[in-house]
Amino acid sequence: MITERHLQIFIALAEEQHFGDAARAVGITQPPLSQGLRRLEALIGSKLFERGAGRVELTPAGVALLPYARRALTSIEELHQAAIARDPEGPEIRLGLAPEVPPSAGAAVAAACGSVIPGSRVTVVTAPTSSLVNQVGTGRLTLAAVLHPAVLDGLEAGPVSLLPTWALVPAATVDTEVVALRQLKGLPIAVRPRAEAPAARDLFLDTFALHRPDGGTVVVTDERAGLAMAAAGQAIVVTADPALIAPGVGRHRLADDPLPLRLRLVWSRTRTPFLRPNDVMAQLTEALAS
Amino acid sequence: MNARIRGIFEDAGVRGWMHAISLEDPQASVELDADVVVPLASVYKLPLLAGFCRLVDLGELDPRERVTLEPSARTAGPTGLSAFADPVTVSLRDLALSMATVSDNASADALLDIVGLRRLAEILESFGLRRTWVRRGTAANLRDLQRRTGADDADAALAVLADNDRTDPVGVYEAANGSAASARDLTLLLRRLWAGELLSASQTEFVKTTMHRQIFLHRLASGFPHDGVRVAGKTGTFGALRHEAGVVTLPGGAAFAIAVLTLAARGDFRQPRVDAAIGEAARVAVDLLR
Repeated sequence: MITERHLQIFIALAEEQHFGDAARAVGITQPPLSQGLRRLEALIGSKLFERGAGRVELTPAGVALLPYARRALTSIEELHQAAIARDPEGPEIRLGLAPEVPPSAGAAVAAACGSVIPGSRVTVVTAPTSSLVNQVGTGRLTLAAVLHPAVLDGLEAGPVSLLPTWALVPAATVDTEVVALRQLKGLPIAVRPRAEAPAARDLFLDTFALHRPDGGTVVVTDERAGLAMAAAGQAIVVTADPALIAPGVGRHRLADDPLPLRLRLVWSRTRTPFLRPNDVMAQLTEALAS
Repeated sequence: MNARIRGIFEDAGVRGWMHAISLEDPQASVELDADVVVPLASVYKLPLLAGFCRLVDLGELDPRERVTLEPSARTAGPTGLSAFADPVTVSLRDLALSMATVSDNASADALLDIVGLRRLAEILESFGLRRTWVRRGTAANLRDLQRRTGADDADAALAVLADNDRTDPVGVYEAANGSAASARDLTLLLRRLWAGELLSASQTEFVKTTMHRQIFLHRLASGFPHDGVRVAGKTGTFGALRHEAGVVTLPGGAAFAIAVLTLAARGDFRQPRVDAAIGEAARVAVDLLR
């Protein structure tokens, strides 16, 4: 039996011409992708791709059958959409949050989803911006709060929300309540891996470097680790989370708020279950920034 | 193959579209979404240059004819006649030269008026370009941006696009709204120009010489840090768009037509990482094709 996954594999391989890239596009690893392709070729009874050194190319049979696969997958997607629209329990809203979104802001958006669309069932995941953008694009998530600026590639996006940030520094590093960036000398800034959101991360560090030429960065997995390093006197954390505190760590407002957390809600134009997505997103954006 | 190009674009924080071919063997290509039609920014001056030269060949325009451009009627811009204070009397071929070598907006709009949108469209069609549209020049582009941003002047409107804290107005980067082309069409134009299929020998020479005299070396040329490699190109920059289309010639004569079109996630006027990524993508493409 030909499944939705078989169709996804066929189309992704035709587009990417590369097993690793196609696996990433489908959201699986390479072994099940290869296995799925072999199974599909057996079911269809002809070879769809020529596998060369590092390259994958459609065979004439593959070229001829690709449009049918596309149509079949589109029909299945339409079936999902129609089912969602008819669901008496209300639509399922799968919300993604970037790890930088303060817990309280993420909670506010999730709560707003529930009240803006009565009867909806909300599920929430946390993942890096690049992964969230991908998941919204492929329909695995309904919407996500991601860092700005990021490459959105065809997704719909709401306005940019600016959340104020605080510097968390080892106690006794600075003694004023409000600090200027240039005062944050000496210690590295705790940052998440650059690949999660290269443009946003570069903007953050380019702004920092304007005011603070030295000190460098240290890559951390999350704010929990960053906070711990600050407590140990090893790093400075810039956070939009108003509740992130620890003994031995001072919280300081940054003069003129030079490093706001820039967030946007993103969703897919074609996959949204909302009848009036712009109205819904406007209310959710309000929840994110409040 | 695609994975490397895609990785370069992801790392630079841009959405990219690309097409590269060897002029000797145009069947082999390096491409990424090469048929997507993308707003051209100042790359539209390349098809305009070719169209102007075609009209010279046809005897419809005299390249030595002089026109006088008054400051009040000239399009604003950072270079060429746009930056001059006083009336300028200049020949048509020197308008073309200034337009192509320093991306002079005033010269380009004056030349576009003389060539005419309809006449240019017919020429581009006769060149076999099916996905290239010159719909307006720089002045009309800036007027449209001003309307969409509600800004008082062109500089204020461009500042809106450069502001990372604000959302881009709807439609600013829609290909359907302005001059646009696919990456594949741009390399087709370059290939046919270089092969002498579109223009007389003297006009072909004028196009090649002029494009080799372009002063901007921060994009395609930045990928080839060796004076033995010659780069003839035309850049395009508008808001977050960063492009260049051109021909790279290696010592020994092997030549490659390359179009790299990008839309950056950040809005900043100066984005050296993106410029360098365009050169890097071109370099990777040439290495794969040679």
